[in-house]
Amino acid sequence: MSPNSAPPHGGSRTAVDPLDSVISEMLRSLARAVRSFQLYLPNNPMHARAIDGARAALVALWAKTDQIELGVTETDFTHEDVSIFAESDRGGESLPWLFYKDGIRSFEIRKGFELRDLPRFLGALQAVRTQAGGDEDLVTQFWECDFECFSYKYEEAGGDGYTAPGAELLRGGAPSGVVDSPADTEADVGTYGAGASQFARIADFDSTLYFLEQEEISYLHQSIREDFAGDLRPSVAAALLDTFETQTDPTVREEICGILENFMLVLLSGLQFRTTAFLIRECAAATSRAENLLPSHRQRLGELVNRVSDPATLNQLLDVLEDTRLKPPQQDLVTLFTRMNSAALQPLVSHLVRSRNAELRALLEEAVTRLASSNTEELMALIGSDEEAVSLEAMRRAGDLQSPAAVVHLARVLESTSDTTRSAAISALAQIGSPGAMQVLERGLDDIDRDIRLAAVKACADHQFRPVISKLERAIKDRVVRDGSSVEKNAFFDAYAALAGDSAVPLLESILIPRGMLARKEDPGTRASAAMALGKLGSERALDALRKAASDKEIVVRSAATRALRGGA
Amino acid sequence: MSAVTADEGERQETANTRRAGRALIVAIHAATRVMKLYPPEHQAVQKSLDELALAAVDSRGVDAELEVRVHGEFIFVNGTRLRLDLSNYASFGRVLELFRAAGVGVLRVLREATSREWFSLLTLVTTVGANSDADPDELARRLQAAGVDVFETSADAEAEEDVEEREAAKAAARRTYAQSVALTKDVINSVRMGRVPSARKIKRAVQTIVDQVLTEEASLIGLTTLREYDEYTYTHSVNVCIFAVALGKRIGMTKLQLYELGVGALMHDIGKSRVPTDLLQKTTPLDEDDWRRITAHPWLGVLTLFQLRGQQELPYRAMLVAHEHHMRRDFSGYPRVIRPRQIAMTSKIVAVADAYDAATSRRSYQTKPYPPSAVLQEMRDNPRRGLDPVVVKAFITLLGIYPSGTLVVLDTFELAVVLAANPNPDMLSRPRVVIVSDGRGNLLQPPIESDLAATGPDGQFARTIIKTADPERYGIRVSDYVV
Repeated sequence: MSPNSAPPHGGSRTAVDPLDSVISEMLRSLARAVRSFQLYLPNNPMHARAIDGARAALVALWAKTDQIELGVTETDFTHEDVSIFAESDRGGESLPWLFYKDGIRSFEIRKGFELRDLPRFLGALQAVRTQAGGDEDLVTQFWECDFECFSYKYEEAGGDGYTAPGAELLRGGAPSGVVDSPADTEADVGTYGAGASQFARIADFDSTLYFLEQEEISYLHQSIREDFAGDLRPSVAAALLDTFETQTDPTVREEICGILENFMLVLLSGLQFRTTAFLIRECAAATSRAENLLPSHRQRLGELVNRVSDPATLNQLLDVLEDTRLKPPQQDLVTLFTRMNSAALQPLVSHLVRSRNAELRALLEEAVTRLASSNTEELMALIGSDEEAVSLEAMRRAGDLQSPAAVVHLARVLESTSDTTRSAAISALAQIGSPGAMQVLERGLDDIDRDIRLAAVKACADHQFRPVISKLERAIKDRVVRDGSSVEKNAFFDAYAALAGDSAVPLLESILIPRGMLARKEDPGTRASAAMALGKLGSERALDALRKAASDKEIVVRSAATRALRGGA
Repeated sequence: MSAVTADEGERQETANTRRAGRALIVAIHAATRVMKLYPPEHQAVQKSLDELALAAVDSRGVDAELEVRVHGEFIFVNGTRLRLDLSNYASFGRVLELFRAAGVGVLRVLREATSREWFSLLTLVTTVGANSDADPDELARRLQAAGVDVFETSADAEAEEDVEEREAAKAAARRTYAQSVALTKDVINSVRMGRVPSARKIKRAVQTIVDQVLTEEASLIGLTTLREYDEYTYTHSVNVCIFAVALGKRIGMTKLQLYELGVGALMHDIGKSRVPTDLLQKTTPLDEDDWRRITAHPWLGVLTLFQLRGQQELPYRAMLVAHEHHMRRDFSGYPRVIRPRQIAMTSKIVAVADAYDAATSRRSYQTKPYPPSAVLQEMRDNPRRGLDPVVVKAFITLLGIYPSGTLVVLDTFELAVVLAANPNPDMLSRPRVVIVSDGRGNLLQPPIESDLAATGPDGQFARTIIKTADPERYGIRVSDYVV
């Protein structure tokens, strides 16, 4: 590519060359591809179809010629000065104008353009069209594409400031006259550094000194590779924060605060999580170390973490992530989240329960676990969230953390009308198992929901919560339990036996084997439950009772007693 | 689909030609080296000639013909320009030198040549090349006399075209240089006035410099000898950009890497636009406060680059270069480093280019520039300067021991200005020069270009540098000759 003057206009050829129509068709396909690039995302079938169309048109063209050179005017592309493509109806959006306005006056497309160059070409046009500031042009974009089969000639746009300044430096030509003969001069000028001499030294003639050894070449290549493969942002962030710490001038610090605030947004929008996390961590370090720091600057840096943890900001980020295929290293995301403050927990938990992105969910799971463990208060508060899913997740995590601080929040939830929520609260309380939790659980024994009663009774048994024995005894005697399902009966009888031990035998035996004429005979199911509970006790007294029941007339009772005696209870 | 395949095939063919061509040049170089060390019947000579013959067959196999053409600083095999990199530049330089000395512009291998025929050719090329007044047809005559008809040699058919091309390249280089200086001035002044400079202009300037360095770096490097006091701030940035890009090219950076390096180099002192001009131009010694304000320019550069709008992406590499270009390897330079960091290679390159250009320029507080060769020597020998020694070494291979623009005194007592380093790495102390005055001090009109690697009939070098000299002492403005 090179700057050049405009191609000649007003050519003599008027007849339509057969090649012209093929080129025309190719340009039309190319223009369609340009528009598709603009309108559709890369994963849209229209996008791929348009590129395939342009490719096919180019291949058709290469059947006729190996290269074409086209001129550019404000409204047309020309071939041998004959207009073959115009988009006058598209005004400022027209392809020829896009080329023309940036100074491109002719271009050449060669066979092979459709392979590597075409997507870059379309990308460059897209970049110029979509730029907000209008400070890019097609020439700089094309240059960066480093095309193999596309070249162009352009004119420098006027008013670039490229004209006069600098030109005066380029005075040239050898002067004439006489100078001192070197043979006559003696004194030498001062030299750069100590010990240097202007006289050529033998060592200087030894060119081998300057041969790069293989390991030196490898070092250079390796360094370049690392330089261009690495992420420069953390180094830039470190440079800013080093300056913030070392420069005590408030105006400088003020400027850096502003830069950091914008920089963080740039990083977040670019999904640069590691650097954002680094920035947050190092801002904290900078505020703790910097001398003569104004309170306003301390606050501004502190605000950075608040801003990123703010639910409104974080929700935006999470929504973007939900629709994005996460790129490695994904762990950066966890690092970032765990650098956030407690305000981040709510949106993170909320998103965790809603997310359909399995990759993101796994990362959020880890992040929430880590963040929750250091922000239990915030987690507890989430138990009372209006969002049921969030509340459930918070209760699950409170249970996992076995945090007694959650009990008061869970107790409140038990008053809710949702069976699901109350059930989750019971599970969490059971996991916590603290005396406070058990007291709350005891209330669950009276819950109207069977599942909750079951969970509560099971938890009391598991935790050997003996204060509940009398309540269980009452429940067993109470018809409500006896009228319940066999599962519930079994649970209550088992729990009673487990907690009361041998002292449970009289009551259980009285239910299993009614004595006296007036004694009430329980239904076979209830008696079977008592048998099973006695079996679990396994004491001699309990076994005696079971042996007596082994010949009961009721087959259900007989069978339960026999099983309990065999240890199958 | 078939057209696609055919095109891929073509590309593959070019790559094969390049690979085979590089192997051929390396084999020619290896054979000439071994032939210098051992007698013809020695096993090592035979082996290297056999390898050369095979390499030539390989090159012919790719293209069914073999033509080696030396043109300017480039070698073409079957019309394909071979790419120079660190792993082959020594061989390239020596073969270029060998061919040039013997007046060979084009070597055609008409059919498969035997090891013996290659031996004859290389012997004659070396012999003819040893005579500085070699007639371009001499080699052809001697080959004919020796009955070797498998090779056809001729002077570079495009010699005249060369001159035109070189002149065109020089003109393009001058245009690029002037535009870049103007752009830098514009950028720095924009920042001074609180305006936002155009990112497009910066891009365009660097892209042009990269293009120029990739096609013909010598002309642009020659322009760095323009060290105008008044324009120092601007020419310095452009010079550093040119040196950095040329060095980056030498150490194998890609075009886009060179571009990023170039932007960093051009903008490395952008922070100075926020240092008061009178301080930058102060000729009296700097006090502590002055020094503190001047040494702020690296971090001021980072802040300034953050203010550049119109960037699709913030220029992170340029920020790092601005921040790190005065950091020493042990971080004893400035600005002070608190967080652990590794100085980027691009910053190290710019640091070397910056140190060299600054020391060899006349500035407000440095009225007498240091001689380029002394500067290079100091950069090489003084570890306290904190430059990366490998980068310095690579820089010296780029500029030669006597860089372009150095005024030298020859053993004939002639004064000469160095034009360009010798591409042969064995001859770094024998650059291409322009002799500006005769032994009695008469300025030559026109001055005479001379290759100090050229030898006389006795096999001795015709001219040798005995010392460098201060151009001001002789009232010589080196840029008049180089530019």
